[in-house]
Amino acid sequence: MAIEAKTPNPRPPDDTSVLQPHGWPRKLLVWIISEATPKCREVVRILSEQMDRKLPLVTRCRLRLHFVACSWCERYMKQLHYLRETARRFPEHADAADGAALSPEARLRLKQTLNNS
Amino acid sequence: MKRGGAAQFSSSAAAATSAPGRGRSQTNPERWVDEHGDPLFRYALVRVRAREVAEDLVQETLLSAMRSREKFAGQSSERGWLFGILKHKISDYFRKLGRETSFTDLESLADEFSEKFVPEGYWVHVKGPKEWKPEADEVMHRSEFWQTMHACLDKLPERIANVFMLREMEGVESKEICSMLSISESNLWVMLHRARMALRECLEINWFNREK
Repeated sequence: MAIEAKTPNPRPPDDTSVLQPHGWPRKLLVWIISEATPKCREVVRILSEQMDRKLPLVTRCRLRLHFVACSWCERYMKQLHYLRETARRFPEHADAADGAALSPEARLRLKQTLNNS
Repeated sequence: MKRGGAAQFSSSAAAATSAPGRGRSQTNPERWVDEHGDPLFRYALVRVRAREVAEDLVQETLLSAMRSREKFAGQSSERGWLFGILKHKISDYFRKLGRETSFTDLESLADEFSEKFVPEGYWVHVKGPKEWKPEADEVMHRSEFWQTMHACLDKLPERIANVFMLREMEGVESKEICSMLSISESNLWVMLHRARMALRECLEINWFNREK
């Protein structure tokens, strides 16, 4: 079916939103939205940019509209925030991740340097 | 970076340099190595990701501290003071890196994640982002999560990882990073996008979607 083939962004199977593209009116709506908003490859780029600067209102509206038809991109946005939230905490947990310590040689060298200066 | 490279560059942190002398009896720099060496080293290592560089930075920090210890005079905790110096040393290191190397690697940015999208630009259905569970505040307590993140960060190209670290771990504003590394904002966004995309993917495969 034509719309099926052109419906690029069905909601993921585990998504429970009202806009599952079942039935032709919804499929048509999804298709219209995907034609009217940037493609996912571009959307993810914009979403990353949004983490670093405030986007114009029009762009934010288009993103919202895109999410109506594409919860993959919406998920991607949530995951960028997840990344930020965890990355901020990464340094304090680095001990757990690594347990790194100065090597005995480095320790000795440091002491010698401090003594000699 | 070469050993000792950080030594040539010690401007801002060395702002507090004065003649050593009287303090010598109260502060023993050798003791600093034992008491604060490892925490300082770890702090540097997680940010610069190379042991030699981290060691150099600790050395620079302690040397600066030794030169300026009279000014310290116990206004804050000794460790807090040393960390303050180390932070300056680290940002000096990145500044220097920004001047020495062209910081963008546009070649590797050319064909961004083409396998994730169909040619028209939509997600390949089976490669779209998966649901991430558990929530962020739950994974914070899992050391395996941090190990995975560490491994994923290590896989990023160095410059991309540096940019990501400054922006997302240290929370430095975009404009400041750009001036620090002498790159344009659009370059920065491309690099950050790439880092986020790659990290997201790596965490999804190795943590959220791993065999349980």
